[in-house]
Amino acid sequence: MERRQDIVLGAVFTALGIAAAWMATSYSGAGGLYPMVLGVILTLLGAVVAARAIRSGADKERVLIGAPVKMVTAIAAGALYVALVVPLGFYTASFLLMLFLPIALGFRQGLYALIVAVVFMGLVYLVFSVLLEKPLPREALVSLFGTGG
Amino acid sequence: MDFYVSALANVLTFGPLAAMIGATLLGVFIGALPGLNPVMAIALLLPLTYSMEPLVALAMVAGIYNGSMYGGAIPAILLRIPGTPASIATTFDGFPMADKGEAAKALKIACWSSAVGGIASAIALMTVGPLLARVTLFFGPAEYFWIAIFGMASVGVMVGSDPIKGIMAAVLGLLIGTMGIDSLSGQARYTFEQTWLLGGLDLIVVLVGLYALPPVLQLAEKCDLKGLSAAQLKLTDVPFKRGEIRGLFPTWLRSSGIGISVGILPGAGGNIAAFLSYNAAKNASKEPDSFGKGNPQGVAAAECGNNADNAASMIPALSLGIPGNVVAALVLSALTIHGLQPGPQLFHQNPGLVGGFMMEMLITSLLIFLLGGAVATRVFAQFQRLPGVLLVPSILILMCVGVYVINGRPVDLWVMLAAGVAGYFLEKVNVPLAPIILGMILGPMAEQSVRRALLISRGDATELLTRPISATLAIATLLMITWPIVKAMRSRRAAART
Amino acid sequence: MTIKTTLVGLAAAAALATPALAEYPERAIELTIPAGAGGGTDTSARKLAILLEEALGTSIAVLNVGGGGGSVGASQFMQAKPDGYSLFATWNSPLTTVPQVQNVAYSLDSFTPIASTSETAYTLCVKADFPADDGAGFLEELAANPAKYTYGNDGIGGTMQLAAERIFQTKGIEAIAIPFGGAGETLQNFLGGHVDIYGGSISTVLPYVETGEAKCLLVTSAADVPALPQASGLEALGMGDKETLLWRAILGPKDMDPAIVELLADTIEASVNDPGYVEFLATKGEVPNVVKGDDLGTRLQAEFDALAQVSKGLGL
Repeated sequence: MERRQDIVLGAVFTALGIAAAWMATSYSGAGGLYPMVLGVILTLLGAVVAARAIRSGADKERVLIGAPVKMVTAIAAGALYVALVVPLGFYTASFLLMLFLPIALGFRQGLYALIVAVVFMGLVYLVFSVLLEKPLPREALVSLFGTGG
Repeated sequence: MDFYVSALANVLTFGPLAAMIGATLLGVFIGALPGLNPVMAIALLLPLTYSMEPLVALAMVAGIYNGSMYGGAIPAILLRIPGTPASIATTFDGFPMADKGEAAKALKIACWSSAVGGIASAIALMTVGPLLARVTLFFGPAEYFWIAIFGMASVGVMVGSDPIKGIMAAVLGLLIGTMGIDSLSGQARYTFEQTWLLGGLDLIVVLVGLYALPPVLQLAEKCDLKGLSAAQLKLTDVPFKRGEIRGLFPTWLRSSGIGISVGILPGAGGNIAAFLSYNAAKNASKEPDSFGKGNPQGVAAAECGNNADNAASMIPALSLGIPGNVVAALVLSALTIHGLQPGPQLFHQNPGLVGGFMMEMLITSLLIFLLGGAVATRVFAQFQRLPGVLLVPSILILMCVGVYVINGRPVDLWVMLAAGVAGYFLEKVNVPLAPIILGMILGPMAEQSVRRALLISRGDATELLTRPISATLAIATLLMITWPIVKAMRSRRAAART
Repeated sequence: MTIKTTLVGLAAAAALATPALAEYPERAIELTIPAGAGGGTDTSARKLAILLEEALGTSIAVLNVGGGGGSVGASQFMQAKPDGYSLFATWNSPLTTVPQVQNVAYSLDSFTPIASTSETAYTLCVKADFPADDGAGFLEELAANPAKYTYGNDGIGGTMQLAAERIFQTKGIEAIAIPFGGAGETLQNFLGGHVDIYGGSISTVLPYVETGEAKCLLVTSAADVPALPQASGLEALGMGDKETLLWRAILGPKDMDPAIVELLADTIEASVNDPGYVEFLATKGEVPNVVKGDDLGTRLQAEFDALAQVSKGLGL
């Protein structure tokens, strides 16, 4: 496992290095030389990592993902949240994430999650919208009612 | 002496005092929330004080600045999520300590070390700083190049068991650092025709993703449905044992010195002070192998180093009118707004105000002693009593809001997620993450300085080595790289003899 | 229960927000600044924002979007809605200088000019032992020694560099440009003797003129600058048409309602001329200068064309 992982890792970095060096050829002067050298070094290091793994006989156990289902759930929820945060608005999307991600991960105390969500969102509102006055993605619900009424 | 007494009297009035306490608390919170940083908070709050008394405004700057440098250590220790780039080195030993059930002790050491570093730095600002300020002018592009390389050499301590992968990570960081408009030629590099990439990848965005997402994903995997009880938190105050403080003293002294030296150089930046201090502590230690496994000296070195940078970074700003970092620039702009002209005359123009600000830097460092520990254990650590599955979305939301408010653009959120997923897998295959960030910080500094130096010398590379300071720095870098090797060889020889 | 209360609350908030031009502004305005916190544009804009908040009766949230010499912020702002709630506080460089060197997605047409706010000249200064004591002598010394002197500036293809090169090209001068991250960094390298000539904003170097360590011999404005008595304006050197200034303005996205533009321009004019703001500008060596609406558009276009010529000459 460890062996295969390192081969893939080396290959990925080699590919990154080659791509970086190749792109750097179109940059002029010292501004191009420096990233090109970096790209070449990255390629070599990646190759060393891969070659070392290929040559080594030992292949120790190394778990890449502890609990794949939970991990993928969390990443998917995160991606969905990022995708929805602009169309829905920050507070709506965050509130939904606070409610549904714990449930998706197997949490069954809905009321507890709800209370934590409300308290937490209240704190976030106080810090970011009241104290720091930072503009966050606008709430779709507000504009919906805004245009309707 | 009169000067300090009157400065102290100016500061110990209701307005500045209240502002310092409030701002230090706020600073600790800001530092502790990933994504939020002191620069943003000071930039936001400073204009509100334009109509107030200047010492109140400056009290706020001092409090937020010092508080946040310590605040960054709290999530670094509890969750292995550095709150600021300067607290990455704190995760190296802070989190292992927490893992061993010594979270309270790690927090206490971080708190004390931050306060000590801040105090040392403030004293330097009040005494030798103005005298040293002129010396920093001898540092030109050639010297800055060597400082960057010197900083890069500290990558040696963070590579862990596999040096090749560590160097590979550093090179990746250097490459990421080249993204965006090249400030010396004006050409866009690795921007893929995306306008938002013209400024390069934001350090904080990458940092939050790379460092905060993997622990969050691991929390999700662990799927803890209950949360810790008060007893399990093990946060009862552990008093320092006899001799423990004395044991930390050499580290504090060394880290303060490093933090102050790096801080006083305009533009060198506090982020590297912690790395350099950590590196020095490990090199000086009799048991370097215990670093990274929960050695309290590591926490002390990193936290003392990053706070020692703070007040020192104000030295060139106050005595020369040259802002060394963004916080210093904000302080100078606040002074200008209050009708003062930054520059060599500032001190004579208004000693009460300048002295008062220095005093505030000192007092807010002292306040960390009083407030820091309580905030960490009574507030932040209590979040761990929530079931892990509820922490997962909470931290995700904090990460996103912190990243979003930096530039107000949604695409940064995707960058953060991508960096996080990459970080998750890189860590699993033993690629250390710290070198990536170090490369991003120091890469642009190294590249720009060396190219500037060559422009000035009309392409003559020997100037990089022949100037007195640059030559000294080059030799120091060489020593720093070879020292661990020499030491390892010596101990091996000694082991062979016995 | 809580969801319901939230919904009710949101609905109540929404009911208050009925869009109508007569009621502009009825919610917070977002002000984008294409530079990081702490710089000159940032400080001036934030200070002005406080006055505008009072005059308009709404809050203004400032967003710093630095990078790319201002092009990142400008490109991002270009996509904002032209509803009057998104404004852009910038200095001239991202609009007139940066497009000459970078491939940017925006042009002057991507914005609605509202009003300029203040302006200042750049200055070129040397150490006290420099063999010249006035603008004419300074340029002669440079012309007599091609490629001998280095001058620090605010960045490659930045307004400061173009301002200087515009003068140098006229006089056939060759000096080596060393780009730095800003006036502070340039000053540091100038004082340390790493570059021969300081090129940048006046307020940064002013204290050293007072101590006699620096002497400023040239300003890039047509007129002389009272704070720098030793420096010549370009008019005195017969190059009045080569003036390049650093100036700041507030713009909106393309296609804004003219009524809102006028309201904003008038409000900005009043706020800029507030005695407190004028005094603040003076501490930074700037003077108020309000050019509104279409006239501002013309000014931008004229500067853009002039700088296009200079940068072509430089081969940038």
